[in-house]
Amino acid sequence: MSGPPDIVLFFGRLHPLLVHLPIGFIILLALVELAACFPRFAKLRDSSGFILTLAAPAAIVTATCGWLLSLAGGYQDHLLAWHKWMGIATAGACTLAALLYLLKWKRLYRVCLAITAAVLVVASHFGGSLTHGSDYLVRYAPAPLRAWLGVAPDLAPSGNKSFSLADAPVFAGVIQPILQQNCVVCHGPEKAKAGLRLDSLPGLLKGSENGAVVVAGKTADSVLLKRVLLPPDSDDHMPPDGKPQPSTDDLALLQWWVTAGTPGNTRVGDLKPPADIEHILEARLGPPKAAMNAAPPKSLAEVLPLANQVADDLNILISPIAQNEPWLQANARSAGTNFTDATLAKLAPLAANLRWLDLAGTGVTDTGLTTLAAMPHLTRLHLERTAATDAGLTSLAGLRELEYLNLYATAVSDAGLRALKVLPKLRQLYLWQTKVTVDAAKAFADARVDQRQLQAWRDEIEQLRAKIKGGQMLVDLGTATTNSTPATNTATAAASVAAAKPANTVCPVSGQPVDPAQTVVYEGRVVAFCCGDCKAKFQQNPKAFLAKLNLVATPAGTNQAKSP
Amino acid sequence: MEPLNHFLQRQTRRTFFKSTGLAAGRIALASLMLPGLFGAAAAPRSHAHPALPGLPHFAPKARRLIYLFMNGAPSQIDLWDYKPKMQALFNADLPDSIRNGQRLTTMTSGQKRFPVAPSIYQFAPHGECGTLVSELLPHTAQTVDDLCVVKTVYTEAINHDPASTYILTGNQIPGKPSLGAWLSYGLGSEADNMPAFVVMTPRWSAKRDAQAIYQRLWGAGFLPSQHQGVALRPAGDPVLYLDNPPGVDAAARRAMLDGLAKLNQANFERTGDPEVETRISQYEMAFQMQTSMPELTDISGEPSSVLDLYGPDATKPGTFASSALLARRLAERGVRVVQILHRGWDHHGDLPRDLPLQCHDVDQPCRALILDLKQRGMLDDTLVVWGGEFGRTIYCQSDLSHTNYGRDHHPRCFTMWMAGGGVNAGTVLGETDDFSYNVVRDPVHIRDLNATILHLMGIDHRLLTYRFQGLEQKLTGPQEASVVKGLLA
Repeated sequence: MSGPPDIVLFFGRLHPLLVHLPIGFIILLALVELAACFPRFAKLRDSSGFILTLAAPAAIVTATCGWLLSLAGGYQDHLLAWHKWMGIATAGACTLAALLYLLKWKRLYRVCLAITAAVLVVASHFGGSLTHGSDYLVRYAPAPLRAWLGVAPDLAPSGNKSFSLADAPVFAGVIQPILQQNCVVCHGPEKAKAGLRLDSLPGLLKGSENGAVVVAGKTADSVLLKRVLLPPDSDDHMPPDGKPQPSTDDLALLQWWVTAGTPGNTRVGDLKPPADIEHILEARLGPPKAAMNAAPPKSLAEVLPLANQVADDLNILISPIAQNEPWLQANARSAGTNFTDATLAKLAPLAANLRWLDLAGTGVTDTGLTTLAAMPHLTRLHLERTAATDAGLTSLAGLRELEYLNLYATAVSDAGLRALKVLPKLRQLYLWQTKVTVDAAKAFADARVDQRQLQAWRDEIEQLRAKIKGGQMLVDLGTATTNSTPATNTATAAASVAAAKPANTVCPVSGQPVDPAQTVVYEGRVVAFCCGDCKAKFQQNPKAFLAKLNLVATPAGTNQAKSP
Repeated sequence: MEPLNHFLQRQTRRTFFKSTGLAAGRIALASLMLPGLFGAAAAPRSHAHPALPGLPHFAPKARRLIYLFMNGAPSQIDLWDYKPKMQALFNADLPDSIRNGQRLTTMTSGQKRFPVAPSIYQFAPHGECGTLVSELLPHTAQTVDDLCVVKTVYTEAINHDPASTYILTGNQIPGKPSLGAWLSYGLGSEADNMPAFVVMTPRWSAKRDAQAIYQRLWGAGFLPSQHQGVALRPAGDPVLYLDNPPGVDAAARRAMLDGLAKLNQANFERTGDPEVETRISQYEMAFQMQTSMPELTDISGEPSSVLDLYGPDATKPGTFASSALLARRLAERGVRVVQILHRGWDHHGDLPRDLPLQCHDVDQPCRALILDLKQRGMLDDTLVVWGGEFGRTIYCQSDLSHTNYGRDHHPRCFTMWMAGGGVNAGTVLGETDDFSYNVVRDPVHIRDLNATILHLMGIDHRLLTYRFQGLEQKLTGPQEASVVKGLLA
């Protein structure tokens, strides 16, 4: 690949840095001239000359840098041409305006300035289109405005919920929006860096000037995946540093799509995505199953007669969790294995109100668990001692409010935990007597907590402990024994140890806990420090730290233990 | 409203017909059509009685209560309330400023002096929370992160009978319903073939006579008597006379009970006596328990890991360990309240001889119960309470030496702990003075404790009332009681 010399690129890349200077100057100048038309602001006109002397050179330098940058290529030709010539025109017009100003041809100067500002706006627009894509500004505009402007309908994933999950075409519905959002700015119709266009399936499959970027079924050979998965600080990472990055869900979907053989308009339902992928898809492509059924609960008065009826029919307990709340609890424990999948299905009319469901020890199986998907408000679910397995747990993926899940004494294994990852509110999970390994359980728990926050809190506790220690006063009654002689000896020994003890536990310089080895005797007190540096600082100028020392240390003369 | 009228209210009768009458009818019909059905066991059916309308008042944190009552009053000074400064005051007189005119029992009110008896047991911090626990409770100490230790419970009663009656029924005067009965009455039962409230009275190891306990400690008072606790016998059959007599099979028993129920029903409709209702439901319950009780006490299905947790006593019926294991099994079967009354904690003399024996009885099973509930995911909605009726004095009753001492009753402060549903685990609430004599911070009256227990179970203690003798009676009585916020998670 032959490109312009590095030095050209170096100066070229200053263009985005400098470009906003002349824009600002010129707009400011135009505003100043406008304002000066009013007598009240006439004095502003005095600054015009100064602004002009900044604006004209800035415009020229910026235009030059821009021209250098354009030599690197990779931009859409007609947009680039427009931007280039409008940019040069701006610089030219600005310089002309400056000349007219010097010649004091006021009228012509103002006309020229107006032209400069107008050209500037056009040049800037093309510049923005080059960098961000031509529909950047209006991509999220209200639909009528977009229609009026003649912009293509929205392709963003969040907007398109018209098709059901199973019917969604996988590329257009799932993959294209990810590429659109993260890649097409540089690899699309306006800019096709490395000859790669990711705005359509043929473009993606064609690859770049260096060859294919995705290999069907082989994630390891797919350059596109490899580069997006590189660590963000790597030079080859895509999208480049500073650009919006795809989310982990995006990456999971891309990998799944490549593994599935880079299908085109196959329907999602035909690909049978695994549970975790399905869950991501549900979240994106229109209302998830749970949300579809997440009918608000009926009022208690409305649902209670029905609940009593169902409870009598099924011979189980159904009762309100609390008065003034619509929630119901159902407890099928006492029915034992007489309570089957078919029985569970009969709870469906109460689905919107069920919050606690106890199926412990019942005859419910994986088949029955599909019924639970329609109970979106469940917070507590007992499935212990049932025939539930990993397969059944995928049915729980839509229980967005589930906090407590008991699976002890079931056949659930490590694989089952994967399906539970997606439960956003899960706080308690019981896995005693299952096939889940200790490592998997720990990894699951660790992945669900914010380790950095925990560490921060632990650190804070340590600091507070140090502070408490520092703030405490030692009061020691000594060791009580009936024999007075050894007691006195102990007391004396304790006193002599206390005398050598530092008066402070917190460093008067840094505020950190002290190292007992770093001490200095100052005004009859043993002062301790956290490190040698602080000790040196203190020795240079003890008075500076005296106030702080008195805060953290017991006063002089009282640092010894009090003996009874 | 008179309770009699209350029970004649249509609502109650409807509830009654639904819960027993119709069910019995269905069973009778089924037995006519399928005579062989009751050859072995009763058909499964729900016997649970529902919660009162309007209860719970708010979403409960705990659905079950396991109350470990240490009858006789364990010494807080030797178990939980660490008082190192007492070591220096061995045999010193308790200052009057501390005793401050405190009413004493007749056992020590005649004593010439009140010498301080420091604990001879070592304390050490345990768990992440660093709560100090005596060496007498090495197992409980390991689970201290699950406990909220309340060091400042207090009461007014100074003798066992009134004090136990006070803490368990809310009044020193006998006749009020017990905590368990109130919970059964208010929240109903979730167990189809078990009483809502079960009591166990395991044996104890201390070598002395123990204080008597009374049925009223788990009685129903003026509440319908179906809510009283059913006490399981510590040895032999847990419930007497459950077996069918020779020559009577289950079908015959069923037919007899159905006939009896009809007669009782007729009687009830004639007199409206609520106790007839209770009688019918108790016959029915007894029939259910014919199968449920043997199943409950058969622990052969418990894995050895679980039995080991409770210790070697777990397989010996009538011990605290086996009671604790049964408590878990009962809770698992939906029993609302399990209360274990362990006697023998009244150590007026020879405390160093008896207290370790008592601790040995309960220590390992207490931890086991908590761990066992936890691994089954039940600790989350089971409330466990441990404690006695009052505390013990810092001053010595009987002869004081460096190896032996005794302690009298002390109502002004004592230690209890709570664990499980909604409890602020891993914390210590309250502080006593250096003599463990007076509360310095966060006093918790036993009324407050009971209000808090009700709160955790979803009940506003002011609203769960029952009209009797012209008063809206409630567990916490007419005096002010408040939920202890520091106990709540």
